Amino acid sequence: MSPGLSVFLENLRAAPRRAYEATFRSGPPTSDRTRSTFVFGNVFLHLHPVRTHRWSLRWSTTMGLGIITFAAFLITLVTGVLLMFYYKPYPDVAYDSIKDIHFVVPTGRFMRNIHRWAANVMVIAVLLHMARAFYTAAYRKPREFNWLIGMALLVVTLGLSFTGYLLPWDQLAYWAITIGANIAQSPREVTDALQITDRFDPGGLQKLLLLGSDQVGEEALIRFFLLHVMVLPLALVLLAAVHFWRIRKDGGLVRPANADERLGPAPLETYPVFTEAPHKTYQLAAIVKGKTAAVGRGPEGTVPSMPHLFYAEAGVAMLTVLVCLGLALFLDAPLKELANPGVPENPAKAPWYFLGLQELVAFSAFMGGIGIPGIVLLGLGLIPFLDREEAGTGEWFGGPGGLPLVLRSIVVGLGSAVLVDGIAIRYGWLREWFPKIPQLVVTLVNPGTVLTFIYAAYSIYLVKKYGSTRAGALGLFTCFLCGFALLTLVGSYFRGPNWSFYWSPADWPVH
Amino acid sequence: MQKNKLLLLVASLLTLGFLVVAAAQENVFREWRQIQRGLRSADGPLDVRLRQIVVPQLRVADRCVSCHVGMAPGETGLTGGKMAAAHPKVGHEPADFGCIVCHGGQGRATDKADAHGDVHFWPEPMVPRRYADAGCGSCHTHLAVPSLAALRGGRAAFERLDCLACHKLEGRGGTLRPAGGGMEGPDLSRAGLSGFAADWYAKHLTKDGAVWKQSFGAIPAADLAALDVLLRSRVGAPGLVEGKALFHSLGCRGCHKVAGVGGDDGPDLTREGAKDPGRIDFTHVPGRKDLAGWLGEHFRSPAAIVPGSAMPMLGLSEEEIGHLVRYMLSLRHSPFPEAYWPKDRIRAERFGEREFATDGATLYGSFCSACHGAEGQGMRYPGLPAFPAIANRDFLELAPDALILETVRKGRSGRRMPAWGLKDGGLRPAEVLAVAAYVRTLGGNVAQAPDPKPARWAQGNAATGTRLYAAYCASCHGPNGEGKEGTALANPVLLENATDTYLFETIRRGRRGTTMEGFGLPSTVRPSLSDQEIEDLVTFLRKGKGGA
Repeated sequence: MSPGLSVFLENLRAAPRRAYEATFRSGPPTSDRTRSTFVFGNVFLHLHPVRTHRWSLRWSTTMGLGIITFAAFLITLVTGVLLMFYYKPYPDVAYDSIKDIHFVVPTGRFMRNIHRWAANVMVIAVLLHMARAFYTAAYRKPREFNWLIGMALLVVTLGLSFTGYLLPWDQLAYWAITIGANIAQSPREVTDALQITDRFDPGGLQKLLLLGSDQVGEEALIRFFLLHVMVLPLALVLLAAVHFWRIRKDGGLVRPANADERLGPAPLETYPVFTEAPHKTYQLAAIVKGKTAAVGRGPEGTVPSMPHLFYAEAGVAMLTVLVCLGLALFLDAPLKELANPGVPENPAKAPWYFLGLQELVAFSAFMGGIGIPGIVLLGLGLIPFLDREEAGTGEWFGGPGGLPLVLRSIVVGLGSAVLVDGIAIRYGWLREWFPKIPQLVVTLVNPGTVLTFIYAAYSIYLVKKYGSTRAGALGLFTCFLCGFALLTLVGSYFRGPNWSFYWSPADWPVH
Repeated sequence: MQKNKLLLLVASLLTLGFLVVAAAQENVFREWRQIQRGLRSADGPLDVRLRQIVVPQLRVADRCVSCHVGMAPGETGLTGGKMAAAHPKVGHEPADFGCIVCHGGQGRATDKADAHGDVHFWPEPMVPRRYADAGCGSCHTHLAVPSLAALRGGRAAFERLDCLACHKLEGRGGTLRPAGGGMEGPDLSRAGLSGFAADWYAKHLTKDGAVWKQSFGAIPAADLAALDVLLRSRVGAPGLVEGKALFHSLGCRGCHKVAGVGGDDGPDLTREGAKDPGRIDFTHVPGRKDLAGWLGEHFRSPAAIVPGSAMPMLGLSEEEIGHLVRYMLSLRHSPFPEAYWPKDRIRAERFGEREFATDGATLYGSFCSACHGAEGQGMRYPGLPAFPAIANRDFLELAPDALILETVRKGRSGRRMPAWGLKDGGLRPAEVLAVAAYVRTLGGNVAQAPDPKPARWAQGNAATGTRLYAAYCASCHGPNGEGKEGTALANPVLLENATDTYLFETIRRGRRGTTMEGFGLPSTVRPSLSDQEIEDLVTFLRKGKGGA
């Protein structure tokens, strides 16, 4: 046999082994060192730190909410791609294609149900995730920027869900998006009152940008489809990558200063802390300003991410899959009649997470649609820059006041929301009391703004009482969360035809 | 870490379990799969696959045949249950049109409740089986449907003249001679579709130049005409034609428009059969909560189903209600591309041909009889002033033809009578003439009594007339002649076309059988008016209140 041929055969024999080595270059993750290289040698895993603090792995630290959100996103991504094989983004045809997906595409109904439920799980989880980050004061230095990225992710998530809502092109979708587009047009309330709509019409422009036309039609459908399947998912992936990477750069998840002491020594069966001397030094550290997150802290509390963190992440992700599948198996995603622009749904309701806003829009379109959401987003964005305290970082409900303050705030938040919305429902509002009142007054004084004012006043009272911005923020955030929950509940379950109040849908008049 | 590992294990196992359940649901437990597994074709077990009829032009993708396999195109000789049954023979090939075009329902669906449309949010459930021929109305518009009386006359003649001895009609009649001999006549159930020679009777009597069926005596011309009416209306949907004829005998079009023709007082019925049951108020409907159930109860007692409805109780028999429900369900008028329209629909919608026969009787039945009564006897409905008895002899003897004609044409503004000759969806000039002429035949062909006087002759004292009007007339005809229980006398159509004799004699003699009494006749409760006083009244009517 010629030498060339034997080398060839030798290479052929070795090919599988070499392919394996080329893929897993550091060998099996059995030692601390290979476990580390396993993580930072992989483009996806290296968004994680190679070592994770034991505090981060406690279930009570995050409740896995971030992973649930991202897992739900991955589920929608996979099922969404599958749905795209059959979905046809054109009016009427779209509806037929959804019907086909539902009835004849193999497992189409199941996939659509999973997609729908995962999307809802994602919206709920992202809200809870934000609440977790807030209540553990995770937004504080050095994590201010990541808090802002998180807010952007919240907005993109809602955008994804909202754009997906139109695609089935049924009555539910058509009128929900019509309502949504009218909310976007709400600045007209102010420009109309000032009589400058002819010259300056940001509301109309927003609606036009959203729909590409005066009303929901084929332009809107194509636009929503493109946003839903390409623009927003790409934006979300990019933002999420930054979000995850920042966690590592900011020294892992937030934890109390005394986390190591509170955890005590690691249990014996845990993969131990550093056993080998580091093999690498980071020359770049010389030009990095400030100290890295690990300087001055021992590696004692940390365990290798591979496998500790990854078991936790995989477990939570699998749980999310399980929940979505379980819901999808027993509850079909809604699909009403073919969209009919001539027959409005009554009541026409926006997607559930906007029903709190719709409840406010019923009183003042501008304040409900733009004013108050704007104030809320601005307030959320300012929190990390106003609260520069350190007490309570990494603790649930950490900071002056603590849990009792939060509980009191729940009472205040729910109580005042019930009171204000209740008055408006039972006795009407300014428009009913003074029919000739100028619109601008109603825009300024309506249940939404009154509620915002009460919450703000309560928050300022807390800041004074506790001498702490954090206390005020705890109160304000809790109040807004309660207000959001209550208004969403009222909008979802207690509003019937013509947006009138009913204790139960059974009392709705028949059209 | 143990907790997390356990979580991963349990979640993964349960997920696997769910996936197995989903796979089983998808591949084993689907209803249509189970049905197909139970069927056998001539060559052995049926192969189990989704079957469908696709007609892109009609937006049809009907999976009905996945369960009703025997009706799938190309499937013959199936056995193994009622789903193996083939479609009954009909004029149309189901493979060309699909199923939902006629039957309604949701063709894309593959589950029974969804496919039959018995679910929320499906606006077009199946047409109930007992009303199946209502499905024809998706595309067809039967033209020149006669009134019920004409139809029944035709059927009576058909039976009386023994046509059934040789001919089949809707499953009855015809001779069957298995041993041969004799001859069976053609089935006439679809004679109106296939068309027939106008001189069929002449041909019928002779064959190859020789006298043929001598045993049948001569048929009178009236019977011949009645037979023609019957045969022209035989289009394979007898119940539907019956219902439509009934609709055109009850005066429904006096208030309701169908396909743009009719009155405006009631809802437009053009697409009544395509009404979304999800948008119907079933609160007051006992029994089945579907469109057919709603319609039936509504015909039984309109105001009990729709509170405040002005529609009168029609007092129909159950059979008539069934016919009307069938016709209402047939008003589907599906928006298919014109290339798929049958000739009758093209003729109706593009050439403006009438759906009803345009003889006076049918027109009167369609447009007038609900208010003026089937025999012109007048009607009284709760809450409304009485409708005039236009077949009243006293009226017909005095009324000039122009008064009847112009009243039909221009209506009585301010009153319930629409201007049938002028309004949208009203009558054409020839039809107005036919109706006006028919009014006289209703009263037994009463002509106007000869009137030597000119149209305008009253020259009394209008001031006296004013006083008399207030005393004797205003309580019924209104202080300003605007009409209350009695006719609106200040109406220009009336005043232009009524002669003085008409007014004078009506006041003097009254109109028997109505509340209008003869004021010139002796009475125990009030002094009777002298001829001079009546002339004063007529003069006042002419001059006093906007008279011509």
